Amino acid sequence: MTPPLEKEALVRAAVGEPGSTRRTLGRRVRSTATAYGFLGPTIALVLTFFVVPGILLLILSFTDLASVNFGDPWNFVGFANFERLFTDRFFPKILRNTVFYVFTTLILFNLGLALVLALVTTNIPRRSGFFFRLVWLLPRLTPSVVYILMWKRIAQAEPFGIYNQLVPEFLGASGGNLFLGGSPWTFVILTNGFIGASFGMIIFTSALLSIPEDLLTAAKVDGASTWRIIRDIKLPLIKWPLLFIATYQTLSLLTSFEYILLLTEGGPGLFTTEVWALTAYKRAFASYAGNSQWAFGATWAIVLVTVALMFAVVYVKLFKFKELIQEPRIDNL
Amino acid sequence: MTTTEIAPPIRPVGPLPKTREKMGRRFAYGFLILSIVPILIGYSWLVIATFSFRTEGLLPRNAEGGIGGFTLRNWDFVTDAAIWNAMLNSLLIAVAMVIGVGVASAAGGYALSRFKFAGRKAFLTGTLVLHAFKAEMLLIAIFFVLRSLGDIPIIGGFIGFNTVGGVALVMIALELPLGIWLMKGFFDNLPWDMERAALIDGASRFRVWWQIMLPQVRPGLAALSLFTFIAGWNAYLVPFTFTVGSKVANMPVFLNQLISDTAPTNWNQVAAVGMFQMVPLIIFFIFTQELLLNIYAGGSKGT
Amino acid sequence: MRVELDNLSKSWDGVVGADRITLDIADGDLVAFLGPSGCGKTTTLLMVAGIYKPTGGTISFDGRVVNEVAPKDRGIGMVFQSYALYPHMTVFGNISYPLRIQKVNKGEIRERVQRVADMMGIGDLLDRNIAQLSGGQQQRVSLGRALVKEPQLLLFDEPLSNLDARLRLSMRGEIKRLQDGLGITSIYVTHDQVEAMTMADKIAVMSKGVLQAYDVPEDLYDRPKTLFVAGFVGNPPMNFFDVEIMRTDGDFRAKSGAIDLVLPADRAEKAAAAKGKVIMGIRPEDVDLVDDSAPAGEGLTLTGEITVVEPLGREDLLGVGINGVDMHVLVDKARGVRVGDSVDFVFNTSRVQFFDPETELSFLWA
Repeated sequence: MTPPLEKEALVRAAVGEPGSTRRTLGRRVRSTATAYGFLGPTIALVLTFFVVPGILLLILSFTDLASVNFGDPWNFVGFANFERLFTDRFFPKILRNTVFYVFTTLILFNLGLALVLALVTTNIPRRSGFFFRLVWLLPRLTPSVVYILMWKRIAQAEPFGIYNQLVPEFLGASGGNLFLGGSPWTFVILTNGFIGASFGMIIFTSALLSIPEDLLTAAKVDGASTWRIIRDIKLPLIKWPLLFIATYQTLSLLTSFEYILLLTEGGPGLFTTEVWALTAYKRAFASYAGNSQWAFGATWAIVLVTVALMFAVVYVKLFKFKELIQEPRIDNL
Repeated sequence: MTTTEIAPPIRPVGPLPKTREKMGRRFAYGFLILSIVPILIGYSWLVIATFSFRTEGLLPRNAEGGIGGFTLRNWDFVTDAAIWNAMLNSLLIAVAMVIGVGVASAAGGYALSRFKFAGRKAFLTGTLVLHAFKAEMLLIAIFFVLRSLGDIPIIGGFIGFNTVGGVALVMIALELPLGIWLMKGFFDNLPWDMERAALIDGASRFRVWWQIMLPQVRPGLAALSLFTFIAGWNAYLVPFTFTVGSKVANMPVFLNQLISDTAPTNWNQVAAVGMFQMVPLIIFFIFTQELLLNIYAGGSKGT
Repeated sequence: MRVELDNLSKSWDGVVGADRITLDIADGDLVAFLGPSGCGKTTTLLMVAGIYKPTGGTISFDGRVVNEVAPKDRGIGMVFQSYALYPHMTVFGNISYPLRIQKVNKGEIRERVQRVADMMGIGDLLDRNIAQLSGGQQQRVSLGRALVKEPQLLLFDEPLSNLDARLRLSMRGEIKRLQDGLGITSIYVTHDQVEAMTMADKIAVMSKGVLQAYDVPEDLYDRPKTLFVAGFVGNPPMNFFDVEIMRTDGDFRAKSGAIDLVLPADRAEKAAAAKGKVIMGIRPEDVDLVDDSAPAGEGLTLTGEITVVEPLGREDLLGVGINGVDMHVLVDKARGVRVGDSVDFVFNTSRVQFFDPETELSFLWA
């Protein structure tokens, strides 16, 4: 009855009975089919709006498709679009704009201000901290068109602009007459920063609040100042959220252009605040002399897609992917 | 510094000396209040402008240039059929998104969380990649996909280019990775024993999902619905790109047309339309504050 | 229903959960799976339930292999440690759920649910929400839900672990009475040996995925076949010593640096055949303080130093060092001995056990 006790029992993996595999194959196919049934709507949507467009975008970038030759069969032009892209007169400017915009906004707002806001709102009484974070969430909840409308009004020249009315009054004339047309970058970065900061703020806050209270008490007992507690304890403990926000937001800033489109459309003038993603969009949809250059827009976009995919890989790594996957604990019979 | 006529009682080891702490507090509040000034100013202008003849900065002016000029004239648009059409379109997009994202995420998230199947790992990785990926870059190609969808007989007229259905479909797809990831997280937290019990009680996997598991994730589904509703209600870029003309325009597109079509822009009327558009958002904001803060952190679950 | 497990195994990517479990459960018996956490007892139970799919071996119900049968078609009821009740349903909703799935007609559902609920003593709680119930009541609902479909086999996964000690004691008796009365074959997973000993007709002791012993409770305690079973069953655990068995003048003696005891021949004979050291085991209650009024025989006493005195209420547990070897002794009354005292102990050598240090099998029963 009792099997003999064998020390190597654990080492030897139990092997299935011969013949049992064939019968289970049908079962496994059926259980996989059930899972795919649940995933059906998702698969259909992802195929239609991510996979197919992704492939299409790549193909488009090798054609010369535009609204002028829309009815014709697609004409493949090899790498002509890419050549045109990299030799474009405004290519260096757009590249510079993109890098400047992404990193300035990221460092000043999406990471910097976000971190400061999280640190400060967690250092005051809970209700007050909650209130300030909530107010900071407002821009994110506001429709982009309305949000930009407010900023346009803030940034208008005298006598309508709010900035130009308030600043001379309270800070003296020195800050006067800063307006959208005059300093477009300031407002592009401010509008995006005020949206971007709140995401990091929320994430950092929850990370900070999850630091065990005992740890902070211990540091205070040891006589550490607020600054030292932040530097020596809090910051090292939220290293992962910081990295996560840095990648996630870099990608966001790189690829989103909705607020710039609404605020300046890349202007004023030629390509003043035009970033890469906006160029792709404008080439394809905002017609130049009545011609939408879909293929050329796709070429700008596919370069960005490639960069974005590389970021996404880093992001997946940062997510500690393995820990997120728990083995299902029900086998399908 | 402080007077020390009375010997201070021996304090238990605690926070910093009172004065420095107070200064720190003041500094903190000062900084926070300063930081939200632009936000408050923006909204203040919106409210003031809505009810004013015109504004200079934050000051309402009447026709003669003096302070004042209170008027309801800016709200005349509520009798305009076009805005109700835009509102209906916005509502259709938002509701379609709540249903579409809700159903697809609740089903897909359950499968990813709870099923063993070939390709599960690839699916999970893919979801996460799409979650980080921004689909705005694919809009050019999606344009062609939508045109093709429009060629499908019968249903094509509802889901193709320049239809509310088409816009809703694209928006659903864009929000789906986040939705699936969120729902997977909620399902991950449910006890396995409950599901096992239901299987032993005789339920099929579909019935377990529908009757046993879904009721447990209702709070998560509610949060996701709120999030997608707001995303749909506020949607600008996708409707703007894939619709032509005012018949299929939603509220943000309508508003933007109002800003650019009328020259010079009637800022006060535009403000009123913007305000009008924010009514449901303000209601959500007042009643679901905690939930809002939580769901906007939701995308980062697991870090 | 008769249940047979034949070489039943489960592994995940090389990690073994259950390794070739083979045992028979007679119709109407309650069998306990006993072992420390992670020993594979719940894994085995979930295979019987059809939740886990075996990677090897077979499960048979009344001679029919059910490996491929879905849980819902196995005719089983299961009770979980966490109760696993559906929190969004009432008590009635929970108990009636299996019947509603079977599309039993409404009148019959009412009747059967009421009958089961009355049997469980929760007949008046049917309209309550689950959250309004105490732990004990929740477990009764869970039991009711398992019973209502009149299963052929009842599975219990540590059903009493979440209850407080007093409730556990009364539920224990209740489940046993219920199972006896209904005559439903049952498997009862537990890590509590008292539960296993008092409730089970037979106990399967498991460790690291391997079935160590499968026996009636008395045999496990008095006639352990392996060193693991001897050490695992019984609290406080059996004392073990490395000794050599000597045969001098027809007498068997167990000897080591610390120990020198005379052994009865029926116990020592087989162990004596072994060359070199063997493991001798003796339970704490089989050692006692020497009572001056009833002197012990020669060679049955040893002197030890008291290191710990733990009053347990009815008995006292002593920690004793005998020439540097530690052991536990359970005595009725410590009679005022204190830590540091040097005291004589008498050993009931007619109850000692012997194990082969290599194979860890008993010389007496294996």
